Amino acid sequence: MRKASIIGRNLSLGYTKGKVQKEILHGLDFELLSGEMTCLLGPNGVGKSTLVKAILGQLKPFEGEVLLNGKVTSAYSNEMLAKELSVVLIEPFLPGNMTVGQLVAMGRIPHTGWTGKLEDRDREVIQNALSATKIEYLRDERLSEISDGQRQKALIARALAQDGKVMVLDEPTAHLDLVNRYEIMHLLREISKNQGKAILVVTHDLEIALETADRFWLLNCGTPLISGLPEDLVISGQINQLLPGKKFHFSVEKGRIESKTEELKFDISGPKILVRWISKALEKSGVKELSGAVEVSEGPFSLSYKGIIYKSVEGLLEDLTSS
Amino acid sequence: MQKNSPFLLLSAALILLLFSFLLNVSLGSVSISPSEILSGLFTGEWTKASREQIILNYRLPKALVAILAGIGLSISGLQMQTFFRNPLAGPFVLGISSGAGLGVAILMLAGSVFGLAAFGGAISPWAIAIAGTLGASLVLLTVSLAAWKVKDSMTLLIVGLMFGSAVSAIISVLSYFSGAEALKLFTIWSMGSLGGLVWDQVLVLGLVICIGIIPVIASVKSYNGMLLGESYAKSMGINPDRLRWLMILSTGLLAGSVTAFCGPIAFIGIAVPHLARMVWKTSDHRILFPASALIGASLLLLCDAVGQLPGSAQTLPINAVTSLVGAPIVISLVLRKNFSKEF
Repeated sequence: MRKASIIGRNLSLGYTKGKVQKEILHGLDFELLSGEMTCLLGPNGVGKSTLVKAILGQLKPFEGEVLLNGKVTSAYSNEMLAKELSVVLIEPFLPGNMTVGQLVAMGRIPHTGWTGKLEDRDREVIQNALSATKIEYLRDERLSEISDGQRQKALIARALAQDGKVMVLDEPTAHLDLVNRYEIMHLLREISKNQGKAILVVTHDLEIALETADRFWLLNCGTPLISGLPEDLVISGQINQLLPGKKFHFSVEKGRIESKTEELKFDISGPKILVRWISKALEKSGVKELSGAVEVSEGPFSLSYKGIIYKSVEGLLEDLTSS
Repeated sequence: MQKNSPFLLLSAALILLLFSFLLNVSLGSVSISPSEILSGLFTGEWTKASREQIILNYRLPKALVAILAGIGLSISGLQMQTFFRNPLAGPFVLGISSGAGLGVAILMLAGSVFGLAAFGGAISPWAIAIAGTLGASLVLLTVSLAAWKVKDSMTLLIVGLMFGSAVSAIISVLSYFSGAEALKLFTIWSMGSLGGLVWDQVLVLGLVICIGIIPVIASVKSYNGMLLGESYAKSMGINPDRLRWLMILSTGLLAGSVTAFCGPIAFIGIAVPHLARMVWKTSDHRILFPASALIGASLLLLCDAVGQLPGSAQTLPINAVTSLVGAPIVISLVLRKNFSKEF
C-alpha cells in the first residue's frame, strides 16, 4: 500500500544566471508515499517552490535525480507526466467566464484527443472529482461568482480529474479563512486515504498541518530535508528547526508557536482556563509584574484587582498601562 | 444553460454574416437590391451589364476581402489575448502592423526621399502587398529571434511593443523627409482599404488565411489549457514553447497578409474576441474561434457598408469606420458588463 510514488536522490537544485549556477538546495533525499498526505514546511525563500518545480519536472536538477514510479522524471514526455502528476498552484488569475464544471473538465486535457472532446469515461472522472471535493452543487457557477474557498476546491477537483497518482499543492490554504483552511486540509487527507494518492502540500499552516498531515518534510537553509511523522518531530524538538530565531519556539504543551519570553508569574487566582487567557493578555500588553493579586471569578465574569472590580480584561489593562 | 445554446448562437452569427454580406454588396453609389444580386449570382443574368461589372469585379471581391480580413484579424487577436493572458493584446502587438507599415513606407516614401521616384505615383497593389509582407516578415522574424532567446511570454509582449515603437519612429523619420504626394499616398494606405483588390489577390489572401488557420485548429486544446496560465498548461502536458511558435506563425500569416493587402485595420482584432466572450459567455476556444471569426467578418462587412455612405459616391477609410462605429458599441458593452471578470 505505502509505495513510494516519488523518490528524490541526492538532489541539488538551483537556477542558472548567465554562466553562474546558483545552488539553492543541496543533497536532498526524500520519498513521497502513496496514500499519505505529506506537508512541506519551511520559511519563505528556503526553496520550497524550487523543490516543487523539480518534482513537477519543470526544473532540471544540477545533480541527483527525481524518480516517478521508479523512472526518472526527465524520461517522461510532458503529456505522460501530466497523466501521473497534477498540481494546484498559487495562481490568482482565473478566467471569470469559466464555470466550475468547465474548470474541472480541463483536468482531462492530457487524456483527450486533439479537440479536447470528452468521452463517457472523462465525464465519469469529472463527476467523481466533483463529488470527492463536495462541490457538485457549484458545477454551473462561474468562477467569478464563487468564494475563494469554493474556488480552491474547484482547483483541487481539477487536479483530481487529471487522475494522476501524485498531487502537488502549493499553499492551497493561503488567503482562506480558518474554517476553509481546516476543510481543505481535511479534504486532502480524505482524498489521499480514499484514493490512495500521494499528496504533497506546501503550507505555512503549522497547526492545521499538525492535525492533518501523515508526514512532515521540514526544509531549512543549509540543512538536509527532515522527514518524519509530525508527532515524532515535535517530540524530538526538530520542529523548532522551522523557527530559527530566538524569538519564538514551538510549545510542546500547547501544540502551537509561542513567543519565547521568560515565564512571567502573575499572581492570579481563579478558574485555570480564565487565568491562562488573562496572563496571556497581560504578557502581550507588556506588563511585567503586578503589585497586587488578581482574583477572577466566572459566571458572570469579573476581575478584582486592588479592590476594584472589572467586567473585562480590557478595563484592567487600561488602568495598568495608564498608570 | 442549455447545452446546445452555443451552437444556436453560432448559427445566428452565421445568419448575421449572410445578412451583412448581402447588405454590403447591395449598398454603394448605386444601390442594387439583394434579390437582384442573388438571381444574378445564381443564374448569371443581370438586368444591366454595368451592374454585373460592379458586383463581380468590385463589390464581391471587396466583400470577400472584408470577410477574410475580419476572420484573420479576430482570430489573431483571440490567440494573442489568450497566449499573453492580456485583454489589451491584439493582432499587432508583435509589431506586425508597423512592420508592414515600414515595408510600404520604404516603398512609397523612401523613393521620394532618395529621389528614386521611379513609380511616378502609381504603385501597383501587388508591389504594396509584397512590400508589406516583407516588412511584416522582417519585424516578425526579429521578434521571433527575441522570442527564441526569452522564455517568458510577458517579456515577448514588451519586446513586440518596443519593436513596434521603434519601427513607427523610422516611419516618422521617412514621412518627415518625404514629399507631399508620397506622404498622402502613404497616409491613405495607413487608413486601410478593403477595395481595390483584383480577384487574383483575393485568392492569394484567401489561401494565406486558410493556411494561417491550420495551426489554430491544431492547437485549440492548448489554448484552452493556456487559460490557467503557463505553469498550469505545462502541468497538463501542454508545451507553451511549441504553442508560441504556432501562434507567431499563425498571427504572422493572418494579420500579416491582411495588413499587407488592406493596410492596418485597427480595433477588430482587439474588440471582436471580447464581443465573442460576452455573447457566448464562455472561454472555450472550440466555440470562441468560430464565434470570433463570424463576428469579425460580419462586423467588418457592416463597417464597410456604413463607410460606403449609402447614396453617395464617397467612401470613408475603413480604419476610421471600424474605430468610429465599433468603439462606441464595445465601450457600451464594457460599461454594461463587468468586463474584467468576463475575460
